[in-house]
Amino acid sequence: MSAPTTEPQATEKGFYGWLDKRYGITPLIEFLKHKEVPVGAHSLLWYYLGGLTLFFFTIQLVSGVLLLAYYQAGETTSYESIRFLTTKVPFGWLVRSMHCWSAHLMILSLVTHMFSTMVLKAYRPPRELTWVTGFLLFALALGFGFSGYLLPWNELAFFATAVGTDSMKAVPVIGEWVMQVMRGGPDVSINTLYRFFALHVVVLPLFTVGIVAGHLIFIQRQGMAPPMAHQKAEKRGMKFFPDFALRDLLLWLICLIALASLAVFLPYGPGIPGMEWELGKKANPLAPAYPGIKPEWYFLWVYQLLKEFPPHLLGMEGPQAAIALVSVLFGIWALVPWLDRKARADRPSPAFTDLAMAALIFLAYLTMKAWDIGGGGAAQPDPRTVARICAYWGLLLAAATVVIRLLMHGAPYFDLTAAAALQIALHGLAGLPYLTAGAIVVALLAASLTWRVFRSRDAAHAAPGGQP
Amino acid sequence: MPDCGARTNRRSILDLLLGAGLLGWVGSVIFPVIRYLKPLGAQAQNGPVKLGAEDLAKLEKDHAVIVRAGAARIIVLEDANQRLHALSAKCTHEGCTVRYVPGDSVIWCACHNGRFDLDGRVLAGPPPRPLEKYACQREEGAVIVQLGRGPEAA
Repeated sequence: MSAPTTEPQATEKGFYGWLDKRYGITPLIEFLKHKEVPVGAHSLLWYYLGGLTLFFFTIQLVSGVLLLAYYQAGETTSYESIRFLTTKVPFGWLVRSMHCWSAHLMILSLVTHMFSTMVLKAYRPPRELTWVTGFLLFALALGFGFSGYLLPWNELAFFATAVGTDSMKAVPVIGEWVMQVMRGGPDVSINTLYRFFALHVVVLPLFTVGIVAGHLIFIQRQGMAPPMAHQKAEKRGMKFFPDFALRDLLLWLICLIALASLAVFLPYGPGIPGMEWELGKKANPLAPAYPGIKPEWYFLWVYQLLKEFPPHLLGMEGPQAAIALVSVLFGIWALVPWLDRKARADRPSPAFTDLAMAALIFLAYLTMKAWDIGGGGAAQPDPRTVARICAYWGLLLAAATVVIRLLMHGAPYFDLTAAAALQIALHGLAGLPYLTAGAIVVALLAASLTWRVFRSRDAAHAAPGGQP
Repeated sequence: MPDCGARTNRRSILDLLLGAGLLGWVGSVIFPVIRYLKPLGAQAQNGPVKLGAEDLAKLEKDHAVIVRAGAARIIVLEDANQRLHALSAKCTHEGCTVRYVPGDSVIWCACHNGRFDLDGRVLAGPPPRPLEKYACQREEGAVIVQLGRGPEAA
């Protein structure tokens, strides 16, 4: 907002008039009055997810500050202060439970928001930087989860941090330095906790608030992205204020009630591996990792990839190769607004909807495997059985996405979904190693892509200037 | 136009000086911060490590104990033939702490299912390197681990 060049005419009396005379807020009110949210054939639900994520983030700030009233970082105090908080402090258990539940729900709504943005192609010009800032916020949210995990200084925290920081070694040249700086020493120790504490309560919140501000300013300046079909059809909209804002508020209220109910009735989480926060035993660097140890659910796919990679691959050590793959995937995801050239030209780009679906299937399969679904609850389930049962579910998910897309858009592009499904089938049903299945699928995908490129060139030659 | 060219030259030299000054300023801020954040090196311990009474009791009870030696963690274990083995307790995959499974005579990492034999060689799973092995013997009732690569190292 640029400052008004002339002194605003304050016609109203009272506080509003006083404020308006000094700061010229009438244009802002006018802007809000005219702000509209596009309404189209798609579900309006997708437009609420960003606000919902912000709502959960606000709960995190408030409950986090409350936790700080009792939490004491230290070798003999971190674990003890959290135990005191949850067992002795009135409603201490509730504050911690709200903080944990809201953290998980924030990630869930953030990821759903990101996937819906991807499928609706809301990242297309001029909104590329809204996508990039959103991606940075996603990375920061993962950073929040990772750093907050260590603070209770319990066994789970200790090993999760050992693994997470160790994977930094994979970064070329500066990896060792980054790992040491994160740990405050060669190994995870209380020094690591001090650094993570500063990161979790100061550095990450500052960055997040700054980037959220940018993300929101972009959205205010450009408005919410209309769905593609909407641009050609007659434009319809809903007034942001009060119509949309009141709906936002209602959703937040419903979510607050849901959050409070979950926090009260399931104070230590739903008991799913990767989504529970019993304090457990105090961290002991001299105790071995316990069986069944797993990271939080949104890191499970990386955890499973680390298990699937062999000791050595392409001249790299297994974990290094796995982290390289994860980095490449994240890089592709961050650059989607520039890669999707069809959406840049405001044309439907089913290939990128397909990319989102393939990503979903890929992540879901690895997560289910990490959960040992089909293992019958055994401590050491048979990996072949788990891979097979998870493959059934993964293929069912793939089939469901295909059916839904066919019904909704008649989408003519399924290569990536097919690739993800084929990899699951080759690994889970035919028994090939996960990476071998992946390599076969990538080769087939490359062949199919080459074929498509040549075919479209032939078509262009056959009908120069004509309809493709 | 010679005047104009001279002015451009003077301006570009000033720009260069300003730029260099800015770079120098950034460097003088960043360098101390980087050095500050990098932790001091841990004191390396190379001498022998003698197990305390508590460690010996744990070794007796669980057939294995993990002890600290400087910054390193070492697992000392007793196999089915009452032979002692000492290895690095830090899994070479992602740095979790390993455990001894007496029933299978293997060293197992619960984090990503890595398995090692009692000489530290990888049997199964994703660890890329063997566990480092140290010389370890009983001396007059005490258990002593020699740090540095022992003669038993593979």
